[in-house]
Amino acid sequence: MAATPDLLPYHRIREDLFRPLSRVSRPYMLATLIAFIVGAAGLVAWSFQLRRGMGVTGLQRPAFWGVYIVDFVFWIGISHAGTLISAILRLTDAAWRKPVTRAAEAITVFALMIGGMFPIIHLGRAWLFYWLLPYPNSRLIWPNFRSPLLWDLTAIATYVTGSVIYLYLPLIPDMAQLAQHNTPWRRRLYRALSLGWTGSDREWHALERAMKLMACIILAVAVSVHTVVAWDFAMSVAPMWHSTIFGPYFVTGAIFSGIAALLLAMSIIRKVLHLEAYFTKHTFNRLAKLLLLMCLLWFYFTLAENLTVWYGNEPKEMAVFGARTRGHYAPYFWTMMFLNFVVPFVLLGVRRLRTIANATIASVSVLIGMWLERFVIVVPTLTNPRLPSASSFYAPTWIEVAITAATFAAMAMLYMIFAKLFPIIAVWEFKPHPQEDD
Amino acid sequence: MYLIGEFHEKAAAAAAIRSLRASGIAPADLDVFSEEPVEFPRGVLDRPSHLSLVSVAGAIVSGTLATAFIWWTQHDYKLVTGGMPIFSFWATGVITFEMTMLGAIVANFGWFLWESGLVRRRDRSAPIPAPTPRPVAGGDPGSLCLRVRCRGNEAAQAIDAMRSAGAIDVQRRGEA
Repeated sequence: MAATPDLLPYHRIREDLFRPLSRVSRPYMLATLIAFIVGAAGLVAWSFQLRRGMGVTGLQRPAFWGVYIVDFVFWIGISHAGTLISAILRLTDAAWRKPVTRAAEAITVFALMIGGMFPIIHLGRAWLFYWLLPYPNSRLIWPNFRSPLLWDLTAIATYVTGSVIYLYLPLIPDMAQLAQHNTPWRRRLYRALSLGWTGSDREWHALERAMKLMACIILAVAVSVHTVVAWDFAMSVAPMWHSTIFGPYFVTGAIFSGIAALLLAMSIIRKVLHLEAYFTKHTFNRLAKLLLLMCLLWFYFTLAENLTVWYGNEPKEMAVFGARTRGHYAPYFWTMMFLNFVVPFVLLGVRRLRTIANATIASVSVLIGMWLERFVIVVPTLTNPRLPSASSFYAPTWIEVAITAATFAAMAMLYMIFAKLFPIIAVWEFKPHPQEDD
Repeated sequence: MYLIGEFHEKAAAAAAIRSLRASGIAPADLDVFSEEPVEFPRGVLDRPSHLSLVSVAGAIVSGTLATAFIWWTQHDYKLVTGGMPIFSFWATGVITFEMTMLGAIVANFGWFLWESGLVRRRDRSAPIPAPTPRPVAGGDPGSLCLRVRCRGNEAAQAIDAMRSAGAIDVQRRGEA
């Protein structure tokens, strides 16, 4: 007869989840230092670009969108981790989401902050970014609200506001608990942020209602944001961009990469913060199944998008299609197909292979593959425009590579700092549960 | 004055609330403190909420203002682009949608702060009990504290009601 699993007592849950906040280990310091150095190198590269101008990048006529726009689309896609996992599972009241939601919501906020930086970096003259804001210029002309670039600004501003509130709301009860312990500066911080939370039924009712409503709103906003990002491309009459399925295709890709980012983050947190009893193999298994589902959906959209172009055989579209599948960008395209479809399909589709380690490998593969997917969408269309004489080749310079690397380091650093300031699992949501055999 | 009753079971706390309300204590004078949300059966301690209504109102106001603002700016300096209309709902629909959602988000958050009482002036003399967490399972929230605001002459009856419902401890706080 199988033994009844022990319950994880409440005091141990609090101890396990609050402990990482008070200890700073040597590996943590080292990882933060490395992330800081890479981030600082990116800042140096950006300052070089600001001084010398956009000529230091690989951007040239006709390819005026390159790695920065790829990074922008990629990071906005990653931000879909929090909204999908947290909002859908919260609305459906799925119990297994509880250890996952905060880790996901934090990814959303940081990925959006980083993604939102790229249009500014891409502007070249970054100090003029305020021209996008709705105010009239010296000739009293207002910004053109019919432009998809202004749609981006409003969509991202709404998404950032919603995501920050969506992350903050369930943090309030935990911060009220933390305000009773800890060092003086932390006590002051948590007390201020918890707004005098007492745990009364009025507060709990209001919090639960607000969270449910926010989940509904944020879902709609998340879908709209990535659709708007897709429309940046689809609204132009460029070969292989002017597509009716670009909106849902981008949303699918965003959720796909978002789940991969969440799996990777969970895998690292689990090891570093010793939270094996909370991020169990069952949590990974469920997320891995979701990743597999999105992998199949992504493959379906990719097939639909490319097959219709190939079947139509329209010369301008075929020039881009050829560049992607047989030309300069073929290595990117086929690597993308391998990393986004073959690797996750094999590792997650076969039940015996669906382990935590393989789920982590599959998520790293998907993250690289999805970055390549964005590259394959953005660049070949611009380097093969409708005017054949304008065709060119684009390759990023070390400036663009350094800035891209810095954003990954910034993401890691922000996440590590967050995990040291706030519990990475919502303690109040996490009821005592049986310990699972891992 | 205030009475603080501690319960280890949700059903006992619900029975105490029913009994106190039957004895004439208003729901506004009752507060339940716990370390996690506690859901009582309908009719025990309902807290009516206008959160959905306020969020919808916020959405409508924000969406309307945003659309009106775009209409005004586009007519303030008419700039014809590619023969397109000066103002078109289709072309500005995305911004209208996003601003509608932003209105809903801000209204939702603002009303949450108001309805929860976090940003309202509070009675500083009111004691705030600290429920003690227990290692329990099966949906039991652990210890619950019921705070009752009552007059001195109602205290004895309220204490009896809480004890007979299953309170493990009842304390008097504040002046009679």
